[in-house]
Amino acid sequence: MKQKLRWKPWLYCVPALLLILIVIAFPIVYTGWISLTNMNLYHWADYQVIGLDNYVRALFKFDSGFLSALATTLVWTVFNMVIQIGAGFFIALGLNAPGLKLSRVYKTLLMVPWAVPAYISILLWRVGMFNTEFGILNKFLSVLGFDKVDFLASNAIAFISCMALNLWMALPFMISTIDGALQSVDTSLYESATLDGTGFWVRTWSITVPAVRPIIAPAAVMTTFITFKQFDIIYLLTQQRGYMTGATLNTVITYAHQNAFASNNYGLSSAVSMLLFVVIILFSILTNRSLRED
Amino acid sequence: MRNKRKNAARLALLNAAFILLCLVTLVPVLYALSISFSGQGTALSGSLSFLPKDPTLENYRAILFDKPFLRWLKNSLILSAGTIALAMLCAVPMAYAASRWRFAGRRGMLRLLLVLNAFPQVLSMFALFRVLRLTNTLNTHGGLVVIYAGSMCVFAIWNMKGYFDTIPKEIEEASKIDGAGDLQMIVRIVLPLARPAIIVTCVMVLITVWNEYLFATTFLLDSQSYSLAGGLYQLQSNDYSRNWSVFTAASMLASLPLLLIFFKIQKYMVSGLTAGGVKE
Repeated sequence: MKQKLRWKPWLYCVPALLLILIVIAFPIVYTGWISLTNMNLYHWADYQVIGLDNYVRALFKFDSGFLSALATTLVWTVFNMVIQIGAGFFIALGLNAPGLKLSRVYKTLLMVPWAVPAYISILLWRVGMFNTEFGILNKFLSVLGFDKVDFLASNAIAFISCMALNLWMALPFMISTIDGALQSVDTSLYESATLDGTGFWVRTWSITVPAVRPIIAPAAVMTTFITFKQFDIIYLLTQQRGYMTGATLNTVITYAHQNAFASNNYGLSSAVSMLLFVVIILFSILTNRSLRED
Repeated sequence: MRNKRKNAARLALLNAAFILLCLVTLVPVLYALSISFSGQGTALSGSLSFLPKDPTLENYRAILFDKPFLRWLKNSLILSAGTIALAMLCAVPMAYAASRWRFAGRRGMLRLLLVLNAFPQVLSMFALFRVLRLTNTLNTHGGLVVIYAGSMCVFAIWNMKGYFDTIPKEIEEASKIDGAGDLQMIVRIVLPLARPAIIVTCVMVLITVWNEYLFATTFLLDSQSYSLAGGLYQLQSNDYSRNWSVFTAASMLASLPLLLIFFKIQKYMVSGLTAGGVKE
């Protein structure tokens, strides 16, 4: 009986592990291997092992573009998260204001962007909002008598456009999480604070924020990872094959993708992928530790 | 009295702010909806109206009958059903084992899965292409199902394990005394109890497959076998200017089922999404 129990759990795990081995583990190992070679368009079949050259190139040669992509990714992640949590918090606070009868209706309407499939949202925004001929933003501008603006043409404005879209897509989850957290706050705390005569801001800062922080933290961490790994928005808006908009905006992940599939530089792309993998793991170990201490 | 009036003014202001916010949020969707019911020229005209000028169903007719939309829909359903079946068949036994039995290597394995899952899927594309070509499954739905199922497997395991942990062991022990085998007990006792978690997990898998365009258009070489996401992606990437109004109609049709499912299960989504992520 004892003997049987030793291998039985593993038997239950075999199908899943096999699937994960093929689909998740093998690509990582393979990418690690390619990152040590000079596989590219010219050395497609006759590639050789060149050691850590790709890593050196990515990390120490500024013209490789990796470091600027990394910087862009960090700015992207920080901006998005700060705005998302800030805006999400105040919107959720507004939804929970006493006496707001229509709050359920507002909340449902605000959730719509979350329910629309991500790729559809992005493609609708690409033409319906940002396009110079079809986009509603430009129609609006010309009604007001301004010149047309190409919202995806250069890096700075493309960054802002991508961020606006990301906020539109991601805010509903944040609002919904913070709204849930707010509803779990003990209301008697507020009552005693109101009796003491403390104002709205003091109350919010000293009672609400500390109370909801531990509930929001896991969701915020998860969203940070998603934002950091965001690929679809930048790819679909600015770098679709045949529709490059002129912006050379790259986050680390679009950079790795572009190097593999646009310039066929598989060695460098794989090295960047592995670096990215390490960064994400380190970051998750760090956040996991601080979450537990919370 | 004055306090009351001040409060009413504040509420009115808050209401105005929320109405504005909702309108701004809905602009892209409403605009696309209006384009989808408009005739050809309207999309280019300078008007800002959200009501289609001469309402027509032409775009919907065009997407349903001139483009292989129904075929894409069928493919999406096949891919989703296949992925859900395979992912759950693999994930449920493992989640159960990891939740119920303490065996050597259990903790390490669960952690390792999370680490492996941190590798961005997009970057596996090249390696997966090679796997598919090697096994001769390029351009087949089967190959894509395996890849989708594999990429959702870790999430499914963690999500299901988290829920199994909350089901008391005593319920199972009672049925063991009745002489039911392990498998029989899982199917008859555990799975019905875990229904909420199973539904959330299945829906998450469904949404992922339904929305995946990159692998679909890379690994399937023939646009007839594309899923909805792949087909729509292709529709806008060849000459979006001519296809724009048809594309909006297609977007509405492809989003509708997900919209309905989403609002049906939304209350489970927040807890379901964050449960597996950082626990243990």
